[in-house]
Amino acid sequence: MSVVVRRNLPQIIVALIIVLMVLFYFFYINADVSKTFTTADKALSDWAIVITAIAAIVGGIDILRYHVNQIRKREMRQIIFSCIVIVMEIIMVLLACYALSSGIAITTQPNFAWLYTYLYAPADAAMYSILVFYIASASYRTFRARNPPAILLLIVAIIVMLGNTSLGAMIWEGFLPLRDWIYNVPNTAAFRPITMGIGFGLIMLGLRLIVGKETTWMGRRE
Amino acid sequence: MAKEEKRRPFGMAQVIYTLLIISIVIPLLNPVGLPIGISQTTKDVYNYIENTLPAGSPVLIDLYYEMAARAELEPQAAAVVKHLFEKNCKLVFVSTITYGPIVFELLKSTAPDLFEGKQYGTDYVFLGYIAGNEPAVASLAQSIRGTIAVDNYGTPIANLTMMANIDKAEDFKLVFIVSSGTDTFGWYVRQWYTTHNVPLLFGALSVIGPSIKPYVDAKQAIGMLTGQRSAAEYETLVGRKGLGLASMDAQSFAHALILVFIIIGNILFLATRSKPKPKEVKKK
Repeated sequence: MSVVVRRNLPQIIVALIIVLMVLFYFFYINADVSKTFTTADKALSDWAIVITAIAAIVGGIDILRYHVNQIRKREMRQIIFSCIVIVMEIIMVLLACYALSSGIAITTQPNFAWLYTYLYAPADAAMYSILVFYIASASYRTFRARNPPAILLLIVAIIVMLGNTSLGAMIWEGFLPLRDWIYNVPNTAAFRPITMGIGFGLIMLGLRLIVGKETTWMGRRE
Repeated sequence: MAKEEKRRPFGMAQVIYTLLIISIVIPLLNPVGLPIGISQTTKDVYNYIENTLPAGSPVLIDLYYEMAARAELEPQAAAVVKHLFEKNCKLVFVSTITYGPIVFELLKSTAPDLFEGKQYGTDYVFLGYIAGNEPAVASLAQSIRGTIAVDNYGTPIANLTMMANIDKAEDFKLVFIVSSGTDTFGWYVRQWYTTHNVPLLFGALSVIGPSIKPYVDAKQAIGMLTGQRSAAEYETLVGRKGLGLASMDAQSFAHALILVFIIIGNILFLATRSKPKPKEVKKK
């Protein structure tokens, strides 16, 4: 493939779409133009939906391929997990296909719903719940009054924790309003510039994509 | 030869974990019923739905959370859904995450009282999972019928009575985003609030709360609920004892225990620091 097709053409398409999206989002010229813009904007959004849906299928195939390769490598510690992933993926896809062929929603197919609710859901919830133990043991070690900023962090953490619980209100009713104040004033003051910084960063990224300076999304250059 | 590190079967970490399990499990099995104060943030949300939102308004609810976040977010969703149904609002459920359809079925099965007397298609609908993230949200704002042809159960949107007059963002009076991610809130701010001026309400995890607070302070959202605490407060306000209230005692005791750990940690730290360091022997 020539450089034009491999590199320049995708860059031109991306730049064009960015310019169109900016036009559709920010500019209102008149009602007729706006209507045309809305139709085109909707079409672009719908394309994105279709591409994402197809990407999910590609993702599923990629997971399957990765784990088949793991089995081929015959690594005994990994092989059992790869087998579980492959078997489960095939079962879920088959059940989903069966549901679709029966004319019912995939999630209401009893076997699919059972596997999801009683196998996947508890495992996922347990993974997240385990965090509490790490947080408890980390807080014991990290919240130490080493220096003035650490002392400030410690005080704020105690206020927020007590403000979040019923016990805090039993000790002193002021913990809840104080927690709200910390949330509303210092916290927002800290997060607003972060949010604005992300916004500026995205603008810069968009500009770099338009002028063709940003190429990492295309993968490594040959 | 280096000595092999011996792992203690029951060290300090294990003591902490055991105490933590006890502090969570016992209050869950035997709730103490500690009183809960209502924060102004939750009161604002309640007052908006109660006093400002017209009765019978169409409301879009995006269930964007997975199983891991269910314990924190489902009680919020259930409490707000109860309040909205009490106001005879027409609820359009949707999900922009793959877990959505299962999460919706779980909400229905764990809180059947919410949907009692409410008819599918007339009082509420579930559009199912819509792929595409922000573009999907943008597309829905422009036209639901133009984005999807059928709901989660394969019924054509045109056949759903409730959807006859509901199609685009302007038809909704409120969007309630229950999300375990941070980006989701930004999508709706950009695609529903900024472009169509539809009021937004956020339901987020405790850890996400601080990062989305600027949107609420900038009045880009009417308010937000964060974590189990807000869920418990909202359950108190709407008079439905659910998972939020049930887990507040456990959360209170767990937090109290963590505070005790922090205090002990600091006492030990200060005691170690105040000890005179052994003098170093000067090398000749």
